Amino acid sequence: MSNKNRSTTCDEIIFSSFFKNHFKSLRNYLYYKFGDRDQAEDLAQDAFIKLWQNCASVPIEKAKSYVYTIANNSSLNQIAHQKVVLRYAKNFGGSDKTNENPEYILEEKQFQSNLLKAIEELNEKQRVTFLMHRIDGKKYSEIAIELEISVKTVEKRIHLALLTLRKQIDL
Amino acid sequence: MKKNYILAKWLNNELSDMELAEFQASPDFEKYNKIKKHSSHLEVDEIDENKILGKILQHKKATPKIIPMYRKWIVRVAAIFILGLSITFVMKNFVPQTQTAEFGKTTTFSLPDNSEVVLNSGSEIEYKKWKWNANREIELEGEAYFKVAKGSRFEVKTNLGTVAVLGTQFNVKARKNRLDITCYEGRVKVNYEDTQLILTQGQNVIFENGIQTNTSINALKPEWIDHQIAFNKENISNLLDEVQRQYNIIIELHSKDTNALFTGKLPTNNLDVALQIIGTTYNLEVKKAAKNKIIFEQK
Repeated sequence: MSNKNRSTTCDEIIFSSFFKNHFKSLRNYLYYKFGDRDQAEDLAQDAFIKLWQNCASVPIEKAKSYVYTIANNSSLNQIAHQKVVLRYAKNFGGSDKTNENPEYILEEKQFQSNLLKAIEELNEKQRVTFLMHRIDGKKYSEIAIELEISVKTVEKRIHLALLTLRKQIDL
Repeated sequence: MKKNYILAKWLNNELSDMELAEFQASPDFEKYNKIKKHSSHLEVDEIDENKILGKILQHKKATPKIIPMYRKWIVRVAAIFILGLSITFVMKNFVPQTQTAEFGKTTTFSLPDNSEVVLNSGSEIEYKKWKWNANREIELEGEAYFKVAKGSRFEVKTNLGTVAVLGTQFNVKARKNRLDITCYEGRVKVNYEDTQLILTQGQNVIFENGIQTNTSINALKPEWIDHQIAFNKENISNLLDEVQRQYNIIIELHSKDTNALFTGKLPTNNLDVALQIIGTTYNLEVKKAAKNKIIFEQK
């Protein structure tokens, strides 16, 4: 009788598909925040382990905010912030095929490294929000839910991030 | 002013054509566009999700705490029980207690101080248990006999007057306009309107429509306790009222010559005898119209 009320989160197939949908973005979010890839992975994994252990008391529709909350709470103690190290996709040359002159290519390379540096220099909030949009391709509304802020705040952070980035690159 | 985060809107492709055209015309547009283009090709290291998932699923699920049904059940029963107890406690102590004697019956009960009360038929008593010893007060409608335990002041309130006593035995009879008090032992103090008097053993006082009548009696307790009613110069309508109350019946009187006053006793446990006595006294014929209806007619 008590099995009837058991949350679907405990179903292995449902849990796995939830994991596939959200694990990477949680891990990425933590990475944008702390810049430590291993730590981000560990925190994300711990959060999902907790979800799995407590699956009976967490309905699947609450699971997402559950793992984000757990990850956020346990990350409060993690003080060591490192620089976020990003890279460009391998198949992205950053240049138009039509314009292959070496000077242009060099300029592009310079721009790319400047951009990476500028992103590293962004403050945490702006960086996290900006990268959730650029790398994970999330909508502003999704970001707002995951960070528990308003869409307007997301827009503000993106706006400020772009302003800062442009200024940094100009220097 | 509502802030318009135009850069954010542009990055999310939300600008209107006009806004976009305006933005594209700005000198910084090229740089922003480059940021947009390049940042869309950023990526983070891939992870082996299946490996991690496998690890996670190896963890044991915490068994949810199952509260056995019987425990929930017991808690509920206990809660209801406690609620019931407290309501009973409140009712018993704070809500006035009511004792009634139906028509044709008498009721005997004890008060918290062991004073005894016998309620005559068609009477009602109300009292509060809360602080009974400090405030021995009773409200009476009808007739009752009190055998009061020794102690502090004891008061019987009726709509006509108040009787206050110390350890004693007395009878209070409060009818429409008539207050009839008899003291069988000790002393009672009677307050009727502005009049205050003290009755001692064997004294009786009747106030009827403001007129005071004092008599003395020999009985040791009221006749109705022994299934009798005593009348002293009673008119027939009061007499029949009393009989109706005692036997829980309806009596109709079809006679004009009924001015004689009645003095004597009637049984309260034998209707036929009682009716016969009245019939003989007033020279009336008794007819049973229905089970509970009696008609007296002129012979």
